[in-house]
Amino acid sequence: MSEPAIRIDGLTKYYGAVVGIEELSLQVERGEVFGFLGANGAGKTTTIRLLLDLLRPSRGRAFVLGRDCHRESLQTRRLIGYLPGDLPVYPDLTAGAYLGFLSRLDDRPVPAEYLRALLRRFDVSDVDLARRLRQQSHGMKQKIGIIQALMARRPLVVLDEPTAGLDPFMAQAFREVVEEIRTQGDTTVFLSSHVLTEVEATCDRVGIIRGGRIVNVSALEDLRARAPRRVIIQFSAPVASSESLPPGALLRSATGTQWDLDVEGPLGPLLQQISALPMKDISVEPFSLERHVMQFYA
Amino acid sequence: MSLRALLFRSVAQSKYVLIGGAVVFCVFQVLLIAQAAEIERSQAFGRMAEFVPAFLQRGLGSQAMLLATFTGTVSFGYFHPIVVCIVSLIAVYLATEPAHDVESGLVDLVLARAVPRRHLVTRSLVLFMIATALIVALMVCGTYGGLRWMVPPSAWPSPRLILLLALHLVAAAWCCGAVGLFLAASSQRWTTAFTTGALLVIVGYLIDFLAIGWAPARTLSWLFPFQYFPGLLIVGGTAHTARDLTVLLTATATFVGLAYWRFERRDL
Repeated sequence: MSEPAIRIDGLTKYYGAVVGIEELSLQVERGEVFGFLGANGAGKTTTIRLLLDLLRPSRGRAFVLGRDCHRESLQTRRLIGYLPGDLPVYPDLTAGAYLGFLSRLDDRPVPAEYLRALLRRFDVSDVDLARRLRQQSHGMKQKIGIIQALMARRPLVVLDEPTAGLDPFMAQAFREVVEEIRTQGDTTVFLSSHVLTEVEATCDRVGIIRGGRIVNVSALEDLRARAPRRVIIQFSAPVASSESLPPGALLRSATGTQWDLDVEGPLGPLLQQISALPMKDISVEPFSLERHVMQFYA
Repeated sequence: MSLRALLFRSVAQSKYVLIGGAVVFCVFQVLLIAQAAEIERSQAFGRMAEFVPAFLQRGLGSQAMLLATFTGTVSFGYFHPIVVCIVSLIAVYLATEPAHDVESGLVDLVLARAVPRRHLVTRSLVLFMIATALIVALMVCGTYGGLRWMVPPSAWPSPRLILLLALHLVAAAWCCGAVGLFLAASSQRWTTAFTTGALLVIVGYLIDFLAIGWAPARTLSWLFPFQYFPGLLIVGGTAHTARDLTVLLTATATFVGLAYWRFERRDL
């Protein structure tokens, strides 16, 4: 049986008295695009840096494609392409020399054709490559950062805030690249982001971390199907709020002419129930990942 | 492959310090020889002896008078306080790069790849050792260039003396660099590592200097590398050069070993 892309068992990291992460367990399957969500300081970057063996765990273990991140550190890192949240650069280097330097650190050659395709996709011209990084905009540096993480075609790509500072066109290009990776199916993407629309558009599953612990892991497809949707119904005449509602519908608030409900599951029974009432308008808010995440931080 | 890439990157970043240091010290040697040749021509070394400070004469005895000779003046370039401190500080500066890698986050970018942690320490070790050896080698070139240009061969100091002084200077700088490497391997911030290393160099040199005439400083001076670089004793031929070099190189090896050990185990 093939090992998952990431397996984390009871991973714990204390910084003195401060908890980085505690008893964190998680599994990410191969070929998945996994969103890792949480507030600042929740433990996202600590988890990523433990996977890269930059931090040493207080207890617990983590595996990448079956390899122990700490005991087989070098072999594990050979499998990972990484974009740090705050991309460090050598300001005196040109973007091209920076990518060249990083590719020389890799122990296998970067496929030139793939690198050219990435540069085209992210609209990085030869002129941009020839400019020193100190003269580049934040967005251009971020594009170079994404390219360096992807260029070696590692089986696991870990991206910390990949679209921070990208314009909408480049954010779209990023989504397309992730979609291509998903389609090819041989690369796993572990993506940490605060941009929830981005996560919603790209990820198969999301894990939510709070206070160093995983509080929820769900497939986005399941969330879309199961999560309560907000339904607002307006009536042309006052309606009593004591009308019985079908199972799965919860009345959050009601005025004479408006109901505000949370509805789990299909809308049919609710619509059937209220069909006799003087309904003027109905609006259904689509599933929102933000709402889902916020409930764990309420 | 990755070690070479890291090394070239560091050389490119510190090339101005390296070239500047090498040129300044090389020129300094030439100027020193020009000055010594001028004093020799005017036969003023005898009068110069009167200017050797009394506390040096008390502390060093007859060795102090060696400063007022042609050989002593030419040799002085290798154990001049500013030369010794700056060469040592260059070693500390280059050795503390691992702390800069950690502070700037470059360590995340480099060690996210299949690069062994020890490569960052090895890179800085190779860099500070080669750089200080090259700077001192250029000083030797400056010395012999100046001598060939301005002084008849019969008056030249012995090659063994120049070699011993150069070896001691390199060994003292390596020892300081090794301490800097250990500090860098333990620090999150470059300024912490470099400032601590630089202060140790300066305080160490001051203590060694004060030890010439002040007993309390003598109880501490054995802890600092400059105690094992007694320039005037080397010029006078009375230094325990083998012992001193052994102490300096052993201390260097110890701190380098500690740096590897610490960097391998720490959180980055």
